[in-house]
Amino acid sequence: MPVNLQIDLGGLTMKNPVTVASGTFGYGAEYADYFDVSQLGAVTVKSLSLEPRSGNVPPRIVETPSGMLNAIGLQNVGMETYLREKLPFLREKKCVIIANIYGSGPEAYASLASRLEAEGGADAIEANLSCPNVHDAQNARGGSLVAQHPDQVALYTQAIREATKLPVFIKLSPNVTDIVEPALAAQEAGADAVSLINTLIGMAIDSETRKPRISNIVGGLSGPAIRPVALKMVWDVSRALHIPVLGMGGIATADDAVQFLLAGARAVAIGCASFRNPDAALKVVQGIENYCQQHGISDVNELVGAVKL
Amino acid sequence: MACITNCKIVAHQEVAPDHRRIVLDAPDIAADARPGQFCMIEVREGSSPFLRRPMSIERIFDDGISILYKAMGEGTRMMASIPTGAYINVQGPLGNIFPIESDTVRSILVAGGIGIAPLIGLAEAIIARGARAPEVILAARTECLLLCEKELSQMGCAVTLATDDGSAGFKGFAADALRLLDPDSKTLVYTCGPNVMMRAVYDVCAAADTRCYASLEAVMACGDGVCMGCVVETNAENEFAKMARVCREGPVFDARVIRWNAFD
Ligand SMILES: Cc1cc2nc3c(=O)[nH]c(=O)nc-3n(C[C@H](O)[C@H](O)[C@H](O)COP(=O)(O)OP(=O)(O)OC[C@H]3O[C@@H](n4cnc5c(N)ncnc54)[C@H](O)[C@@H]3O)c2cc1C
Ligand SMILES: Cc1cc2nc3c(=O)[nH]c(=O)nc-3n(C[C@H](O)[C@H](O)[C@H](O)COP(=O)(O)O)c2cc1C
Ligand code: FES
Repeated sequence: MPVNLQIDLGGLTMKNPVTVASGTFGYGAEYADYFDVSQLGAVTVKSLSLEPRSGNVPPRIVETPSGMLNAIGLQNVGMETYLREKLPFLREKKCVIIANIYGSGPEAYASLASRLEAEGGADAIEANLSCPNVHDAQNARGGSLVAQHPDQVALYTQAIREATKLPVFIKLSPNVTDIVEPALAAQEAGADAVSLINTLIGMAIDSETRKPRISNIVGGLSGPAIRPVALKMVWDVSRALHIPVLGMGGIATADDAVQFLLAGARAVAIGCASFRNPDAALKVVQGIENYCQQHGISDVNELVGAVKL
Repeated sequence: MACITNCKIVAHQEVAPDHRRIVLDAPDIAADARPGQFCMIEVREGSSPFLRRPMSIERIFDDGISILYKAMGEGTRMMASIPTGAYINVQGPLGNIFPIESDTVRSILVAGGIGIAPLIGLAEAIIARGARAPEVILAARTECLLLCEKELSQMGCAVTLATDDGSAGFKGFAADALRLLDPDSKTLVYTCGPNVMMRAVYDVCAAADTRCYASLEAVMACGDGVCMGCVVETNAENEFAKMARVCREGPVFDARVIRWNAFD
């Protein structure tokens, strides 16, 4: 039985509901040794800033139970190098591109978005308003993220919305009391979809040296450890919003992905599971198709929000 | 080109207390591997441990590779319990390679403890090129942790032993032993071991106008240039290049580009 896997994520057509999470797949070419990355519904690139960034001093990562903490600090090649050196590969492969962007104010996000549109550098924009590893993350509260303030989310979303006609996704942080509030703010300000979750702020200490395991002191937790939290937030947000949700957080297998679809995600992103298995996202695509076949589902969209309560 | 394969363990033995060698049937990896490169090993299925473990390729055979490792933490201790005949999932070869120059008059390899692992394959490759067998300084805390002396001697390498406690060979640090070998501007030094040791080795090299390549370690998540987690600080001007990925730009670096005092 043929299964329709194609979905529409806020105006972005994806041939299947699977992409990768920003920062866990480079710019696509890195993993091209292992599989044809154009088989994914979309490739989401590492957060791009206007200028190159060197990021935080090492150590930047530490393994934790069923996951990892990272404080990369958005080291990236910057917009111009992306357009010149990274984009040609993605275009040549005919990948659908979700360009994740990061800037230091609404204007920076707006100019990133309009430049990407003008240069054909993206098919959709995902604005990272939720990176825990920049600004003054060292104040032990993890700093203040734009995504923690619904009024700020609205301001940033509006600025990006006005700068581009591309689909705009707003990436939200789980480090809030109620994630529905910033999600609603993004929707009202014109976002086409919301992406969630970014990492949960966490910490690890080496008891021998008494020093934090990562130099930034705190970092973002990702991996299977956060999956139940992410799933619940996707469920909350997808019920409250009419725009679609791109769900992520600890997804490693097709079964995990199906859970996110059932909870209400229109599409899913595979994050740090790719570090262990670079082709994890492709396996998820194949696994979703198998699941649909086994359960007599002809269109993957039927799964979205179909959790039985 | 890197690949991911299930490899049969054809031999797995203890070579010193807590140190083991694993020989893998891995023709695809062996076909592409060059000295200096490493693999990412999936210690076991499931999500604990969550990440693969980086391990240098010790030797490259026609149909496989060997790995020399120290069982120290959770992952490597699990590895130590995998029996011969079992399969493990290996990703590789990854990273850059030791530059080998055919007109090198003299090369010296300086290894600290388990740091000898990637230098064994390098010694073999230098000899295979027809160049003079490298001299080797094997340094460790104590005698029983001096690895591979016999193999190196059999290859024709002049081996200097150095131990912190004087239980074998020179009593003192690898860098002091290197100074006694009097390297000059025509000598090429390759080193792998603890950062403090490599830094001291580099200082000796810098003073003698000797070129030095160091193979570095860092905690890794992807091993493949994606996560930006494994960086070391460099002397580069370019903002992005100030932090170099050990898994991509390395693990082998010209010691001059590393900001050694960042490890303080
Ligand atoms: C390029 C490269 C080549 C290496 N080659 C060898 C080798 O040939 N033989 C060998 O014995 N060891 C080698 N190492 C070090 C080896 O990867 C670590 O000893 C191993 O990961 C420790 O894992 P564990 O689970 O036993 O320790 P744990 O302490 O439980 O590890 C916890 C985490 O820390 C990381 N970690 C701990 N120590 C190190 C370290 N020294 N370097 C990098 N990551 C570390 C682990 O990967 C893991 O994510 C190499 C490291 C790198 C980066
Ligand atoms: C090493 C690393 C780097 C990341 N970099 C970014 C980034 O640049 N921009 C961003 O929006 N999210 C970034 N993230 C967050 C992921 O995109 C994702 O939201 C998060 O890891 C949760 O998914 P996972 O548990 O499947 O990894 C990063 C995550 C990791 C582990
Ligand atoms: S380990 Fe991920 S970039 Fe080096």
